[in-house]
Amino acid sequence: MAVSTFWYGCNMTRHGEIIRLSQRMLEAVGVEAAPVGGPGACCGSPKESTPRIAEGMADRTMEKFAASGTPRVITWCPSCHANLDDFMGQTKEQGFDSQHLCEAIHEKRAALAPLLTQRVSARVFVDRHVGFQGRVPVNDIIPELLGMIPGVEVVDHPYRAPSYMCFGLASVPGALADVQRTTLAAMRETGADTLVTIFHSCHREMIGLERDHGIRVVNWVHLLAEGLGWPYEDEYKAWRNAEDPLAAIGPERVAAAGEVAVRKLVEPELTRPRLV
Amino acid sequence: MVAHQDWSALRAAETQRMLAACTRCGACFEACPMVAYAPEARGTDAKAAVIGVLDVLAGGPGDAASRNWISVCTRSGSCNEACPEAVNPMLMLRLAKWQAQEGGVIPKRDAAETMARVKVFARLSMTEEEQAKWL
Repeated sequence: MAVSTFWYGCNMTRHGEIIRLSQRMLEAVGVEAAPVGGPGACCGSPKESTPRIAEGMADRTMEKFAASGTPRVITWCPSCHANLDDFMGQTKEQGFDSQHLCEAIHEKRAALAPLLTQRVSARVFVDRHVGFQGRVPVNDIIPELLGMIPGVEVVDHPYRAPSYMCFGLASVPGALADVQRTTLAAMRETGADTLVTIFHSCHREMIGLERDHGIRVVNWVHLLAEGLGWPYEDEYKAWRNAEDPLAAIGPERVAAAGEVAVRKLVEPELTRPRLV
Repeated sequence: MVAHQDWSALRAAETQRMLAACTRCGACFEACPMVAYAPEARGTDAKAAVIGVLDVLAGGPGDAASRNWISVCTRSGSCNEACPEAVNPMLMLRLAKWQAQEGGVIPKRDAAETMARVKVFARLSMTEEEQAKWL
């Protein structure tokens, strides 16, 4: 059987457990998919301030997909997904079809349902955004999948954050803080105890709320894994909410990853100020 | 058969299409939830803001309001829903941002360390075997 590609993007390297769980979940519903991502399989989005460089990165990724002979690319990142539609597939031969991870799992939900045997008591508020919903109805599909987990109640609320994911909001003064405040207010209004993020950049920005606001923050893949009874550890969340992130990572792992690089590139991100 | 030879050709074709299709009605600006975060664009005439964006898209400097609006775009897509001509204002603002950054009209995002950071996190969150297979 031809193996699909699970294109997790570049910034997902922060969340190895989500990549592992996604691959395992796809396999459990009958989809064999090989994870691919990082700088060598980039859509170019992080470098689009210089489109020539972004284009070069995206072209190399398309060539990589073509060389692999993959029949299907299953996306995670909304930036990658949109760039594939809008630029990469418009300028390079695309010998594969594509869909988002939530679509791939949703179309196999009949196979997923009997596997969701573990009760997870949670009243869930989904961190819905506008922007990507027009391409993939994530705001409908993901709550439906979460609602299949025994014990999970997904609350309904009209609030939608004004961006395709939190990444863009973080660079606009005041915007991300407003979204976090509004999200917390909506959770209080609905009595939700768990905030479920859809995208990685939202997860990165929202997990800090867990420490000070009496809520739990998980990604939708995490919650499905709990319903499946699969253990995992959200290490990025543990590091972000630790008093001393480098101590939480541990000196051996810091040394193995390169202490200078960790102190320069990782520590500032994990210790950045909390907005609310 | 691909639709465009490369990104430059795609951008040129889309720019021409947008300049021709847009009626400068201002509906996209009025629908944008991010104008509230653009102090130089707030209160600006919607039609003038769109005219400024189209000027940037065509290689001009635009005005302060349009540049500020372009810089706060988060791709909410609210503009696309409001546009009566299916111009795709979300893509219009994105291409205008690229044009403005290339021309020095608005500053580029500093992404110099992005990929280095991606690699360090990979070393922290993935096993060596996973790094070899997945990166």
